[in-house]
Amino acid sequence: MTIFNLYIFDKCGTLMHYAEWNRTKKSGITREEEAKLTYGMLFSIKSFVSKISPYDPREGFLYYKTNRYALHYLETPSGLKFVLNTDTTAINVKELLQQLYAKIWVEYVVRDPLWMPGTVVTSELFQSKLDEFIKQSPIFGIRNI
Amino acid sequence: MSEEILFDCLHAEIVNYCLDSNKENDLATLEYIGFTTGYRLIERLTREVARFKDELETMKFICTDFWTLIYKKQVDNLRTNNHGMYVVQDKSFRFLTRISPGTKQLEHAPKFVAFTCGLVRGAISNLGINSTVTAEVQSIPACKFHIEVNRS
Repeated sequence: MTIFNLYIFDKCGTLMHYAEWNRTKKSGITREEEAKLTYGMLFSIKSFVSKISPYDPREGFLYYKTNRYALHYLETPSGLKFVLNTDTTAINVKELLQQLYAKIWVEYVVRDPLWMPGTVVTSELFQSKLDEFIKQSPIFGIRNI
Repeated sequence: MSEEILFDCLHAEIVNYCLDSNKENDLATLEYIGFTTGYRLIERLTREVARFKDELETMKFICTDFWTLIYKKQVDNLRTNNHGMYVVQDKSFRFLTRISPGTKQLEHAPKFVAFTCGLVRGAISNLGINSTVTAEVQSIPACKFHIEVNRS
């Protein structure tokens, strides 16, 4: 099991933070373009899922899988979006994302008095805590790609 | 948990509010807010405490009970030269724990300790000790408060 990368978007689609760990293939476009493309796709999937669902969708879009990776999606009531790419065998990613939101984002970004809401996160403390959190998670595991 | 975040956010906003309007980075307003808060607060906190024997007892109370009630922890170190100088050290000061430990952020540190300087000064002032309280931040999130008792 392994973790590739993480995007955090705010409700307007701005990329608040990006981090990567075991990503071997780059997209070949700039970070901004890649973020726009990712956000656009997620936006479409979200509306697609809510329209196509035969039941009343409770949680909406949660994740998708290809044969090489899985994209996990967590949206908070405030519209913050956590997008984590892992390999296909990763389990309990939803819980991991929830923990990431509660223990890392809320603690080190929301409670940082120097952070202005709506701006890109530059706090080194947040970055190091995030890195530590991901590396300690059971999903991070050993690389076997 | 919820009451802690409320206090933290309110404190951060008070800091912004007090410093946005004046250009000279004047921390006096912030210190005064702390002073009046401390002055009133100590009244409530000491209602069931026996009278203090001497100055050191008072300082010990500030470092243990007072600190625990406000910052949910005790101070890490209290030192004195026995001539009215006290140094209170907190290795992980509440208002600094969420800030990155970089040199750029260090410039902002004084803003977040001014209120506490006033708070301590107000508290011991109501206990009959006039003092000057200053703070020193060398590396985030550690902070040292220097309490100098004014004898006259």
